[in-house]
Amino acid sequence: MSASSRRPRRSPLVVVAGATAALAAVPALWSGWSWYAAAHDDSAAYARARDQVLAAGEQAAQNMNTLDHRDLGPGLDLWESSTTGELHDQLVQGRAKFEGQVRQARTVTSAKALSGAVTELDDRAGRATVMIALRITVQVPDGAPATKDSRMLGELTRTPGGWKLSALGQAPMGDSAAGGLPSGAPGQPGPASSAAGQAAGGGSSRPAVPPSPSAGPSAPQQPAGH
Amino acid sequence: MSTTRHLVNRRRRLDAVGSRPGSRPGPVRELEEHPVRELEDGLERTPDAPARERPARPRLRPRGRPAVGTGETAPKESDAVPSAGPRRRRLLAPVALALLTVLLGGFAAVAGGAAADLRSGPGVRNAALTDAARTNEVKGAVSQAVNALFSYSYADPAKSDEAAKRLLVGAAVQQYAGMLAEVRAQAPVQKLVLTTTVTGGGVEAIEGDRARVLIYADQRSTSTADTATAGDSTYAAAMFAVDAVRRGGVWQIAGIDTFDR
Repeated sequence: MSASSRRPRRSPLVVVAGATAALAAVPALWSGWSWYAAAHDDSAAYARARDQVLAAGEQAAQNMNTLDHRDLGPGLDLWESSTTGELHDQLVQGRAKFEGQVRQARTVTSAKALSGAVTELDDRAGRATVMIALRITVQVPDGAPATKDSRMLGELTRTPGGWKLSALGQAPMGDSAAGGLPSGAPGQPGPASSAAGQAAGGGSSRPAVPPSPSAGPSAPQQPAGH
Repeated sequence: MSTTRHLVNRRRRLDAVGSRPGSRPGPVRELEEHPVRELEDGLERTPDAPARERPARPRLRPRGRPAVGTGETAPKESDAVPSAGPRRRRLLAPVALALLTVLLGGFAAVAGGAAADLRSGPGVRNAALTDAARTNEVKGAVSQAVNALFSYSYADPAKSDEAAKRLLVGAAVQQYAGMLAEVRAQAPVQKLVLTTTVTGGGVEAIEGDRARVLIYADQRSTSTADTATAGDSTYAAAMFAVDAVRRGGVWQIAGIDTFDR
């Protein structure tokens, strides 16, 4: 019938439109596949996890070295929320004692991450180790603020609330300590390596100096690490 | 053939006759309401219907004019259906395909953008840790370079000079010269031996032939000039970041970031 006579009339437009759609389908399929592949790229996912770990580690290390004696509650709450596992437990247990120490010392401590790197990352186990170069400023009641650099080693554990510090300490120094590097056993986590230690001991943290002239001949001026 | 078509045509004829003497809204409206639906049915089944109904159309239009109020919309619809229906159906497939084309194009753009974001984000380009072999290579090379560069013996200054020539490029040449100037000046007098040991290295970033490594190092300096303190060593801790570039398969130090200290 005339339906067949109408078909040829319709077809050029349909053919062109169909061909255009088919052509458009090629890049659509390709980019769709590319999207899928990129989203399921293990290497990319691992890279994202690495960056998350570093960001979390730097922030947590800063938090753990920031404390204002006039604002202890929120400051120590932040310490606790930045940590997990044994380190968290230690902070909770030693909190009262530590609060007293800081109140007495009346210190205001702040920290800034200068640089950081993830040294190990087990994405499946949810464990990672980081190196974080910190610059810590301690303001004592009367006196100029003291700035010191700190070589932090941290261990992070993945929790439902994100990556959190499960250990934090300073990189040991000297030949005697060279063997027992990292953070597996944080001898003095949190309070000891942070505000209280800085405030009480003044120079208790080992000075981190760059390989500048001061590290050479004038090194005797620097307090030795042991 | 179908009775509807006969009915339609008859009504149309009647309609044409009725409209001639003048405008009579009453019968007109009655006629309009029914033919519409029937016309559609008839057209679906009888393809030759459009040809026959055509002569009637010119009359349908002027007739609609005098109609007032709600009656006016009906003739327009009835008028549009027979003419636009086939065209609409004819255009349905191309329009749908065009729409599909646009949608596919849009999806391609979105997916391409998303894929590019996922692949070329700064974090993804960074091969630190994701490329374990390269990461270890960079870390090892930079650690060795730092050990060699920042170890200095008054007895063998040429050794560090040679290391500097081999391992330093760009801004690092001047930076290094400044750092070691005092050591070089005092070393012969104090009989100074400076030993640097990298204790920790963390690769922050690797992008192609460029890398940045955070270094923790211990420095031991021993002066043997004063017999009273001979052999005594002093230690200092150092932390700094090194920018490295690979040239000819060798990682060289292009910059030393001591964090403004």
